Amino acid sequence: MDIEVKKLHPLEVRLLRHVRLGQEITADRLVDELGYKVGQCNQAFSWLSAKGCLEESGRVKHVFYELTETGRAQAEAGLPVERIFKYLAAEAPKSLPEIAQALGLQQSDVGSAFGSLTSAKKAALNEERKAVLTSDSLPDEVIIQRSLIERAKESAIEESALSAAEKAAISKLAKKRGAAASTFRLVEREDVTYQLTAKGDEVRQALEEGGITGEEFGQLTATMLQTGSWRNGTFRPYGLDAPVSRLVPGRTNAYADYLCWVKDKLVSLGFEEYDGPLVVNEFWNGDALFMPQFHSARDIHDVYYVKDPSHCKKIEEPWLSRVAATHEDGGGTGSRGWGYTFDHEFTRRQVLRSQSTVLSATQLPHAKVPGKYFGIARCFRYDQVDATHGADFYQTEGIVVGEDVNLRNLLGLLKMFAQEVAGAEEVKYVPGYFPFTEPSIEVHIKHPVLGWFELGGSGIFRPEVTKSLGLDVPVLAWGLGIDRMALMHLGLNDLRELFTPDIENVRMRRGN
Amino acid sequence: MPKIEVPESMFFSLAGRSYSDDQMMDIFPVAKAELDGHEDGVVKIELNDTNRPDLWSAAGVARALRSYESGKVPHYDFFSSKDKTMDSAGRVHIDYESALGVRDFSISFAASGCTVTEEMLINLIQSQEKLCQNFGRKRKTIAIGIFRSDLVKYPVHYIGADPDKTSFVPLGMEEELTLREILEKHPKGREYGYILAGKDRYPYLYDDKGDTLSFSPIINSAYLGAVKVGDKDLFVDISGPILDDLLLTANILACDMADMGFTIEPVRVHFAKDTKYGRELTVPYYFQEEACCAVADVEKTLGLALSGEECVKALARMGVDAYVKDDVIHARCPEWRNDFLHAVDIIEDIMTGHGLANFEPVMPAAFTKGSLSPVEEYARRVKSLMVGLGFQEMMYNYLGSKREYVDNMHVSDGNVVYIANPMSENYEVVRPSILPSLLESESVSGHAVYPHRIFEIGKVCYKDPSDNSGTTTRDKLGFLASEGQVGFNEASSYIQTLMYYLRKDYKLEAVEDDGRFIPGRAAKIVCGGTEIGVYGEVHPQVLESWGCSMPAIMAELDLDAML
Repeated sequence: MDIEVKKLHPLEVRLLRHVRLGQEITADRLVDELGYKVGQCNQAFSWLSAKGCLEESGRVKHVFYELTETGRAQAEAGLPVERIFKYLAAEAPKSLPEIAQALGLQQSDVGSAFGSLTSAKKAALNEERKAVLTSDSLPDEVIIQRSLIERAKESAIEESALSAAEKAAISKLAKKRGAAASTFRLVEREDVTYQLTAKGDEVRQALEEGGITGEEFGQLTATMLQTGSWRNGTFRPYGLDAPVSRLVPGRTNAYADYLCWVKDKLVSLGFEEYDGPLVVNEFWNGDALFMPQFHSARDIHDVYYVKDPSHCKKIEEPWLSRVAATHEDGGGTGSRGWGYTFDHEFTRRQVLRSQSTVLSATQLPHAKVPGKYFGIARCFRYDQVDATHGADFYQTEGIVVGEDVNLRNLLGLLKMFAQEVAGAEEVKYVPGYFPFTEPSIEVHIKHPVLGWFELGGSGIFRPEVTKSLGLDVPVLAWGLGIDRMALMHLGLNDLRELFTPDIENVRMRRGN
Repeated sequence: MPKIEVPESMFFSLAGRSYSDDQMMDIFPVAKAELDGHEDGVVKIELNDTNRPDLWSAAGVARALRSYESGKVPHYDFFSSKDKTMDSAGRVHIDYESALGVRDFSISFAASGCTVTEEMLINLIQSQEKLCQNFGRKRKTIAIGIFRSDLVKYPVHYIGADPDKTSFVPLGMEEELTLREILEKHPKGREYGYILAGKDRYPYLYDDKGDTLSFSPIINSAYLGAVKVGDKDLFVDISGPILDDLLLTANILACDMADMGFTIEPVRVHFAKDTKYGRELTVPYYFQEEACCAVADVEKTLGLALSGEECVKALARMGVDAYVKDDVIHARCPEWRNDFLHAVDIIEDIMTGHGLANFEPVMPAAFTKGSLSPVEEYARRVKSLMVGLGFQEMMYNYLGSKREYVDNMHVSDGNVVYIANPMSENYEVVRPSILPSLLESESVSGHAVYPHRIFEIGKVCYKDPSDNSGTTTRDKLGFLASEGQVGFNEASSYIQTLMYYLRKDYKLEAVEDDGRFIPGRAAKIVCGGTEIGVYGEVHPQVLESWGCSMPAIMAELDLDAML
């Protein structure tokens, strides 16, 4: 048998256990005998038919009369004819318009109701053309209608159960479809008769043998616990392969989780987090880092300029004078400088932070010795937005300040980042170039999934940078390209997806 | 970063040996280069050092590799210096006072004894292009012209010429045009004319017969400036305002051409004003100065005790002659380089020459205490509360359009920070609030199962006259809830819950005239007299502008103010 009896719904179980082969099974029967609601009957029929336990054996059409909204109102207030009869019995003769106004009825309704009274010889118009009763009883037909309305208040009346007189009486109150304000409406219903199939009978026997009654508890309730009634039965088992409904939980963002994880790693390695504003001036974004003011990366096609205020009010001293001197002739840093005239207007120009190294530059005058700092900073570049370039993106970087730090310490740090943050198997160092570090090193790692790639850039800040900003000790500086690792971590391959506004997309995203 | 392409055969011949791709990948970093590709017999190289223009040519990279492999410094015999002047054999180049203030200097040298091949021509043009574009800031500080020297009659003359009375047939055209017309009509004139904006004279180079060489920095003449395959004798002119940059460029080109097989023929240049080298000198000219570095500083920076001898050996592999005297390394900057600004530049060459693989990584010894920033710690507390309230954390871009951040929000743009040079109007404003980001989510997420409850903790930026920058960057929490029925009371409950757990006493004040919210259904959150946030029911005009079809509530709180 392909049906697991334990998984049948109680409505199915109770039905199957209630019937025998050859019996007619109808909704009416289940309502009467099992107390099902009509909807529950239909559920049980449709489920068991689909499983091949029941088959249709007959289909009968029934016509019913049921009260409309108007009909329910008339059941309480009376049919127009009843109300007119009662009114005339209590009042002096009245003209038809007077009756209509007094009872709040349409003239036409009054006309037709009065017409039925006169044709049954129960009322007439006097010589003043006012209505008077000529009998103290309502027409028989109206009496029948009243009794039908009373019956219909309980449940719809089946047409086949009506006598000829009743049929005639009710048909006058059930106008054709579309007519307004009739008392009854006609409803057609098909009653289907089912029979148990051989398979259904097998299932029924299996249910009996398994002792499954369909009366098992569905839900443990507080009342059951209070009364102890849970002891009197067993609980219906759940099917384990039933579809599960979806929950939408409150959740952190998977990319943010990754950034938090990186931050926690760096904190655990002894780094202190720093942060800064999105709008910075050329001084901190480039000049303080000994990038010459004519450097191509500072071009209008590489950096976003702020429209207003286009320039900051001032640059802090003594840093401005020292940095300017360093650019011009080395300014006592041991350098010969770039040998050009420092532009004091340009240096105040404001840009959107284009590299996270700004944070290091602004930290240097306040740095502790020894000290380790890091930042994850949103930066902006003048780039066409595509799968590998965002208008804004995160950079991760940091510095290590110490009396005796040197290149080999830098390599040691890079190795640790490669292993701890990137999970690298092998590490390779190559000479690199950055305007603010010398020596400069790139670190390449062999990642278990991505293969060899550049993890980041690093170096020892040039003395032109550190000495101008008041530090006479070496400063190791490093930056990690964690975007790529974040993409891999999230199973993505388009940078734009890191900042997607699509809620469903973010809800479904998982880290690794 | 500059990228060059060079035929494999030419590159390997310049390098003096052939390389496999793996070998190139391994060795290129010593020249701050990367193998960018190698297909159809063409090697593509990306150059990373913006202060080493000598490495932006195939010959330059090959020269670096040759020294590195052999440990020998290349020597060239055509350089003059303050101690030695080479014979210029009557080749004279005169700069006149009329060019001062326009484009001060023009210098030149000649080359002969080699037949120009197609490969060579392409390579020369490529080097010329890289030097002018990158090192020469798009010809502003360096422009290079290459001419057929067999047709040139010395001396050549460099003047500031009348734009309307000087004319010639420019390369790429057939009619004679005045200098001013060239700026208007010639593609190069239109591209580079800005360099001469506001000048009443234009730089002009011609020979003693009166034949035009070039209208520098714009275009050569069609006659003397049309170098082609098969030519044997070349004349190279370099013009610009900074003499050292010109001398370096001449040295680089001369060395590259010598490496290709040319004999370099010096030219005597007369300047129109005093220079630190006097009124005249012979090009190519060694102008660089010796740089020094204490042997002890090498160990201090690199963490490895190298002897003076080891340092000298390492420098030789980088093409640098050096000697040690009294524990100080004296490095002779090669003719084609000018990047020894500081002793650390010598130390880096020692590092590379010694081989990075020979430096064992060591962890720094000093103990330091790690910590998150205060706002990050606070943000994490807030985040866990928002997640507990059933909200999904989002992360958004910080750049957007005026339409999104201003128009759709029905607010004024008085405090908005605009970008002066936006790439497109889609990215021209720094977001002043998180709320438009949240609404953008709503506008694209109609398909996502409701209810929507989203939040972001992130930065916003807007004008603030009290700050030195005239702007302020704030860390904010923004959240939004949207479903069939949602209202002010629900928003109030969220705020109350948050403020309870964050231990904030607050009171609410009515919001006046805020187009973002339904009037009478929004409130300002005030803590100790400071406004720290706002929340309410989103105005239907805002929802309509964004194309959202469900009602929503939203709130924004200033975490910096709550810290």
